[in-house]
Order: sequence, then C-alpha cells, then structure tokens
Amino acid sequence: MKYESQSIAKLYFIAAIGLFVGQILFGVILGLQYVMGDFLFPEIPFNVARMVHTNLLIVWLLFGFMGAAYYLVPEESERELYSPKLAILMFWIFLVAGALTILGYLLVPYATLAEITMNDLLPTMGREFLEQPTITKIGIVIVALAFIFNIGMTILTGRKTVISLVLLTGLVGLAVFFLFSFYNPENLVLDKYFWWFVVHLWVEGVWELIMASLLAFVLIKVTGVDREVIEKWLYIIIAMALISGLIGTGHHFFWIGTPDYWQWLGSIFSALEPIPFFMMTLFAFNVVNKRRREHPNKAATLWALGTAVMAFLGAGVWGFLHTLAPVNFYTHGTQITAAHGHMAFYGAYVMVVLTMISYSMPIMRGQQAANAKAQIVEMWSFWLMTVSMVFITLFLTGAGILQVYLQRYSDTPISFMETQSKVEMFYWMREIAGLVFLIGLIVYIVSFFVKGEEVKMAEAE
Amino acid sequence: MRETFTKGMARNIYYGGSVFFFLVLIGLTVDTVESLPKTDNRENLTEEVAAGKRLWEINDCIGCHTLLGEGAYFAPELGNVYTRFGESTEAIKGFIKSRPVDGIPGRRSMPQFNFTDQELEEIAQFLKYADGIKIARDWPPNIQG
Amino acid sequence: MKTDETQLKRASDAALTSLLNLTILPVIGFIALLLIYRKTRPGDIDRYHALLGIQINIIAAAVLFLVSTLMILLGGFDSPWTWVYVITYFTLVHTVFIVFALWALVRAWSGDKLKQA
Repeated sequence: MKYESQSIAKLYFIAAIGLFVGQILFGVILGLQYVMGDFLFPEIPFNVARMVHTNLLIVWLLFGFMGAAYYLVPEESERELYSPKLAILMFWIFLVAGALTILGYLLVPYATLAEITMNDLLPTMGREFLEQPTITKIGIVIVALAFIFNIGMTILTGRKTVISLVLLTGLVGLAVFFLFSFYNPENLVLDKYFWWFVVHLWVEGVWELIMASLLAFVLIKVTGVDREVIEKWLYIIIAMALISGLIGTGHHFFWIGTPDYWQWLGSIFSALEPIPFFMMTLFAFNVVNKRRREHPNKAATLWALGTAVMAFLGAGVWGFLHTLAPVNFYTHGTQITAAHGHMAFYGAYVMVVLTMISYSMPIMRGQQAANAKAQIVEMWSFWLMTVSMVFITLFLTGAGILQVYLQRYSDTPISFMETQSKVEMFYWMREIAGLVFLIGLIVYIVSFFVKGEEVKMAEAE
Repeated sequence: MRETFTKGMARNIYYGGSVFFFLVLIGLTVDTVESLPKTDNRENLTEEVAAGKRLWEINDCIGCHTLLGEGAYFAPELGNVYTRFGESTEAIKGFIKSRPVDGIPGRRSMPQFNFTDQELEEIAQFLKYADGIKIARDWPPNIQG
Repeated sequence: MKTDETQLKRASDAALTSLLNLTILPVIGFIALLLIYRKTRPGDIDRYHALLGIQINIIAAAVLFLVSTLMILLGGFDSPWTWVYVITYFTLVHTVFIVFALWALVRAWSGDKLKQA
C-alpha cells in the first residue's frame, strides 16, 4: 500500500461483505417462499424479504464502489486522500442509515414506516428498488455528495489518470441520476418513464463506467501491461457502453404507454448493448495473455477474468435473449427477467467489487497477496458462487420459458397462479443452487482467515 | 490497424458518442412527454386515483406484483386486472378484502391490509385507471397477464 | 521463435473471421475463413489458427444445430418442454463457443498457439 489513507477501503469492504451475507440469506428465504408460499407469513411477507434482498444488494455494492474508490484514487492520484476523516464519518453515517432502513422494513409494516418517515411530505417510497424512505434517500444524496467531494478533490489536486477520471465520471453520474428518485408524479406512465432514469442509467450506463475503470485498474496491477494500451481499451469500452446504453433505455419503453418508435429504437440500440461486455472480455483476455509479470495474487486475476466473462454472459447474452421487442412482448415481466437480473448483477457488479477486494485486501493487510492456501480456498469460493449462479440463471430461464409458453403463448393460456405451480420444480432446483451459493459465500469469508506461508512476486520491481 | 487507432481517437469517440446520444435521449424524452396525453389515460386521473397510487406505493404492492410488467414476479400482473376481473371494481375490492389474516397453509397469499372502504375504492380506481393506459400492441398478450 | 508480420496478420484475421462466423456473420464468416486458409502453408501459425477456427466452427455447428434439431424432433415442435431445453441449451453452449473463440483470437494476436509452446 503506497498511501496510508487507502486503508479506509478496508472498513468499507468489511461492511460490504457483511451486508452481502444478509442479502444472500434473504435470497434463500425468498427462494423458499416461491415453493412454500406460507413460509414466514405473515411475519416476513415476500415483498418485505424482497425489499431487503434488493436494497441490501444496492447498499453493499455502493459500499464496495466507495471502498474501491478510496483504495484506487489515492494510488492513481499519487497523494493521500483529501480528507480521511470525512471518509470515515460518511462510512458510519451510511452504515447506520442503511441498517436503520433495513430494520425499518423488517420491524414495522411498510405503511407504518411510510407514516413514521413522513412520506406524505415528499412521496418517493414504494417503487421497485427505490423503496427507501424519503429521509434515507436524502441521506444517500448527502453521503454521495461528501464522497464525491472527497474523491474529486483528491483527483483534481493530484495526478489525473484516465482511470480515475472515468471512475469520477461514473460516480458523479450515479449521484446525478439518483436525483430522479425524488420525482414521483401521479401519472403512472411518467412515473415509470423517469424511474428508469435511475435504474437503467445506473446499471446499463454509469455503473459500467465504474466497473470498467475498476477492472482496468486491477488489470494494470496484476499484469503490468502498459497503461497506454489499457486506457485505449477503457475509452472504447465505455464509449460503446454509452453509445448503446443511452438510447438502449428504450427497451424499457415498449409496454408502458410510451410512443411506438421506442419499439424500434429500444430494440436496435439494446441489441448493441452486449458489445461493451464483449469487448471487456476481449480486453481482459488480451492483457492477461500479454502480461509482463507473474503477480502472486492468482485469485485476483481469476476474479478479473471471471468478471469479464460473467458480465458478458449475464448482462450481454442474457440481456440480448429477451431485449428485442417481438420477443419481449412475450417475456416482459416473467422469470426470464429474473434470470437475467441475477446473472447480470452478479457477473458485472458483484464480481467487480470482489475483484477489487481480492486484489487490495491482502495489500491492506500487509502482504502482496494472500498465502497460497488462502488463495486456493478463495478460488473454491469463486467457482462455487459462479457455477451456482449459472445454475440459478438456467433454472429461472427454464421456469421463464415454460411460463411464457403456458401463460402467454399457448392457444389455451392458463392463469398466473396455475402456471406458477407448473414450474415449481425449477424453483426447487433454483433454491438448491441458492444454497450452494450461500456455501460459496461462507467459503469466501473463511478464505480471509486461512493461515499459510507468504507468497511474493518472483521479481522485485 | 491497432497501431493506427490511437488513444486520442478512442477518447474522441467516447466524448463525442456519449454527448451526442445523451442529447438524442433528451430530445426523445421531450417528444415522448409531449405525446403522452394520447396514451396515458390522464383524463381519468382523478384525485381518487392519485390517492390509490399512494396506497399502492406505501403498501409496497410492487414487491410481489407486476404493474405493466414491472415489479416482482411472485404474484399476478395487475395492469389488466380490471379487465380480467370482468371490468368490476367491486370484484377487485372483494378480493383484497377477503384475504385471510394468517395466510393459506402451504400456499402464497396476499396479506390482509385492513383497508377502509374508502381506501379500497381508491385502489380499485387506480387499477382501473392503469388498465385504461393505451399500450403498444395491447400488451399483455392475453388476459392472463 | 516468432513469426513474420504477414503470417501474424493472417492468423489474426483467421481468428477474427472464426469469431464473426460464430456471432454476427454466420456462413459469410466461414467462407472468409476458408479463403484465408487457402493462403496458408502447413506448419505456420496462420495455418494453425485458420484450422483451429474451422474446427471450432464445425464442432459448434454440429453441437448447436444437430443437438437442437434432435431435441426438437424428439420433444416435438408444440411441446413447451422442447423450447425450455432448446433455448437454454443453445444460449449457454453458443456463448461457451464464443468465449473460446475470443481466447483463440487473443492468442492469434500474440502469435501464439492455444497452449504455451
């Protein structure tokens, strides 16, 4: 570790992993509720468990992004963080606000939570992924602004690299587009249209900038490939991400009462959305193939390659599978969407955060890389989580295809609930795959505590 | 080819491409918002409907159901429930009112929300309004949603 | 032992056409690949990658289309289960071939065979 203040990332990463565990536990509960409808009813109904599952995901990814930025930016800028104290303060504010919000979901009925937090003054609650009470949303904005100020001042007063500037652009975009979560008109179509300005422009827009810059950073470190080469790739990847992704928002405007031209625009541009992920795989493969050093952290390299491939598979291929309007007409809002959502989030964002943790955590603990035994355990967790996520996706895809056929395509369509009982077998298999994922996550945590002999880079630099 | 394609060119594609398409998105957004009155059923957006939307939100209905295909996939689509229930707000209200407090053994069940009659009417009116939005190709493909 | 520029260029083109045939230019990509193959000589790196591309694409075609056709013939066109298997299978296995061809392309760029010499 080159700069003292980078170690703040450790705090953020520990919190991220802790919340990740919570997310997966609730995922397992949800999976069980799919097959045992009365499980934990009425204490934790499905909608509450789902809120906890998705909100924890978002919060821990944000912790991961912030931690990653606190680690990356001082090193790229070649100076200490502008204000380490502010970073630590914001950590605790965000953690407490996040924990209170999750407890609020679990301890009181959602309507009561809305009342306590005075949702009536500025109603923003109750929309998918944006369920947080308005006051929490305001808290998120404050934390995000303080964070961007801190990171921004560090970058602007230090060495400016392409990686840190792209990261900053992504983070500013994240904060700016989140502001649309405060716009909640009574008109349902308008509400839905601008809701996507948060959700789509995050995950299929600015988050890709964050992801690509984090991946580029780790790849420079583990492969030693020339920065010029990596920066060129980075530019072209994020260019394709925004060129395809901005108008690609249109694939969400097929069936919500918006004009017909979105059918064409959304289909054509979102068909291009796999390209940045395709290029990310090509990029990661290429620089690893042309590596100039054998970095002792094999696990981090595996995570980096895994991120590229799984993001291509989950976000690229599984997105393309149902993005064309004539296909989406049948698949919109079915288990196909759930299948895509799971693998895309895991492959792109979960894995890039874990890549960053895998690379930086040993360094923050005073080693170049984790010991060989610990790395083997970590690689086991990589395969357990990744393979089980592939199976979760395959089972949900199977469920989705069957659902589409029985409920929407067939000449004699059957009702939603009847269809659900016909696809139950897939939900059982998904639940088993989910449990394997949980085991993988436990193995991942264990890997931090495995002792062994230290490994070092063959050649000192 | 890869030698002649410089970092500067890549950067220009990034800046040029993203600014251009961002402006296109803004333009299309303006056009969409202007043409919404033709489809979004705003003539039926009464105060009762607005109150129903608020109830829909503060009870997190989207956490189980889809509405126009968006939401969770645990419970039926509600964008066409008014049609599916025989164009009867009474049927919708009756269904919500009749949910057992302790659920149904072994099965999924909607919670009992203990709505007042006024609230029930507002939710039913909101769902009726949502059903009146004109969707491309009359999505969903059939009445089952 | 590194190969000369023309061979390197041709090896890269071969790997690229192989990848194109698997993705956006089916058939056309394969014809282009065959044309490149004809210009190569045995033992050279460009011959190696042209041959590798041809092999990947023939195996991919067999594995994807033969198995899918079999699934449809055995399962019946009107059975939902047929489509559960065909779509899931085709999507996943197709992607595996694409990822493999991507690695082959990267190896061609660096003038290497798949395995370290």
